[in-house]
Amino acid sequence: MPTREITLRINGTTYAGRAEPRKTLADFIREDCGLTGTHLGCEHGVCGACTILMDGDAVRSCLMFAVQAEGAELMTVEGLADGDRLHPIQQAYWEHHALQCGFCTPGFLMTTLAFLRDTPRPTEREIREGLSGNLCRCTGYQNIVRAVAAAADVLAAAPDAGVRRAPALPDGCVPPTSAGAAKTRAAGRARTPAPKGRTAKTKPSARPKPKRPAGRRRRA
Amino acid sequence: MKLEGTTTLPAPVETVWKTINDPEALRRCTPGLTELTATGPDAYAATLTIGIAAVKGTYKGTLTITDKRAPTHCKILLEGTGGAGFMKGEGVLDLEPEGTGTLVKWAGDMQVGGLIAGVGQRMLGGVGKMLVGQFFKCLEQQLGSGA
Amino acid sequence: MKPAAFEYHAPDTVEEAVALLDAHGDQAKVLAGGQSLVPLMNMRLARPAVIVDINRIQTLNYLAEDGGTLALGALCRQRAAERSALVARHCPLLGDALALVGHAQIRNRGTVVGSLAHADPAAELCAVLATLGGTVTAVGPQGTRSIPADELFVSYLTTSLDPRELLTEARFPALPRGTGWAWKEIARRHGDFALAGVGVGLALRGGRIAEARIGLTGVGATPVRAARAERSLVGAVPSDALWEAAAEAVRAEVEPDGDIHASAEYRRHIAGVLTRRALAEALTRAREAA
Repeated sequence: MPTREITLRINGTTYAGRAEPRKTLADFIREDCGLTGTHLGCEHGVCGACTILMDGDAVRSCLMFAVQAEGAELMTVEGLADGDRLHPIQQAYWEHHALQCGFCTPGFLMTTLAFLRDTPRPTEREIREGLSGNLCRCTGYQNIVRAVAAAADVLAAAPDAGVRRAPALPDGCVPPTSAGAAKTRAAGRARTPAPKGRTAKTKPSARPKPKRPAGRRRRA
Repeated sequence: MKLEGTTTLPAPVETVWKTINDPEALRRCTPGLTELTATGPDAYAATLTIGIAAVKGTYKGTLTITDKRAPTHCKILLEGTGGAGFMKGEGVLDLEPEGTGTLVKWAGDMQVGGLIAGVGQRMLGGVGKMLVGQFFKCLEQQLGSGA
Repeated sequence: MKPAAFEYHAPDTVEEAVALLDAHGDQAKVLAGGQSLVPLMNMRLARPAVIVDINRIQTLNYLAEDGGTLALGALCRQRAAERSALVARHCPLLGDALALVGHAQIRNRGTVVGSLAHADPAAELCAVLATLGGTVTAVGPQGTRSIPADELFVSYLTTSLDPRELLTEARFPALPRGTGWAWKEIARRHGDFALAGVGVGLALRGGRIAEARIGLTGVGATPVRAARAERSLVGAVPSDALWEAAAEAVRAEVEPDGDIHASAEYRRHIAGVLTRRALAEALTRAREAA
């Protein structure tokens, strides 16, 4: 299948690469743009691990072809934190232990971002429904629900507390990362090393660590 | 999964029996059957391309007619494997005279596995019934035209 | 889990799209939201040789009220319809059902018309179209035609569309003033396909039922209009006993399949339960609207 030039705007930066039209948006983001924070769980639209924002709306990037995203403003999990400063949603997930292995977390974060923008003061039921398109095998969801409720409070109290909020349709664009002004990055081959941005799993050492439960440490 | 039903065909029992055992009729009426080659008495190699709308798979396997008690009872075994999974169907047919025609009582056990089963569970039973329906409808047309 | 290779086209106009479909016939599949097609392609259960991506045809992106009918273009996303003030005002049954279609991420890309073209036997939108007696508009090489719901849905995932035709629009009749409505479904998890679902429209006149519509999903190969149950309600005075009788009539009319998710008996049973609940809720709304 012949390849074609594909240019995408992700987190305020323009990425260019070559791929077949059948290459999914998720794969292109990961392999051609080097943004591996977006994960592949099921690749058939059920688990939500691949969730990104397209023009502000949460979408399953495994169900789109990269060619289809040209011209849109995309946002991935790498666009949430500002250098060392976690986005309030990330902070809330951290504080409420809403991730264990972290595999589903990028998808949850992006869904949460769009969800809280649309439903800034959700009830617990609304949170559960709003997140129903994302699956987590580790946590049992309780802490995720708490984290989203907590994040809602933070964002409601100080709407600009989020360094970046989801862009509103159709203009609005994520400002460039602190690593430099927006520049065109020629995408490398499949083995591009991951860029220096932060994903939800990164723990800045300056942050106070959550308390460990008291008790003896078990020896192996 | 077990499916069963009855259908009436416009021909006497002997004619229906002959048609069911006729590879030409089977070739024409088995939905999706693109190839049927005899490999022995009442045994055939079969290729089936079967599916619904955009969802299609090709299965290669065998078709055998066993347990024959002419002209009223037999079992048709159809199995195949393909990219989308495997399927194994076993249908028992009992023929009874009904007026000038034949009442066919069929009972089937269908097993489908692999990807198509994992994803298509919701529709397998219904689709299976539909395919059996197509088979008998085709037979009906064959018999109606005096085959 | 990667799709097989295909020839990709992204036409800018309906004419171009139809020309492509005409050229490739049943080798081509239309791609709109992709929320049903792409999973099948990723799993290689579907391997269309040609993809006609209609997402560039902006003239298809509309939602308008047109003399008592809501017209939704083929690119109207489910989410846009869900949040639309026009839908809330003129066709709240559609709005209620939309909220239960998949999940937010699916509705952000998925289209209303695409769901109709896909014809899943447990889809909400197909049942809503059937309940309201809506139509779709199909454009093909031979011209344009309008297809009513009861002629559109043929079987599992199968419509009466010719492979060379493009569905450009869905038309949902608006609920007349004073009509009550309700959508009820049972699914194991939020966003799952319904085990069974019921859409109801109820109009009263002088304390009696003037018109009743009952449409079901998940109880057959296509959406089912419970015509006998509907007729039994016309002219009657609403009551719990009447709803129970209607529920029994619905149970007698449907022939659901059983599978690992729910047995046929269970589906038949909840078809009745949901009908009863939907009728009661529709009555409340009809009275409020009066």
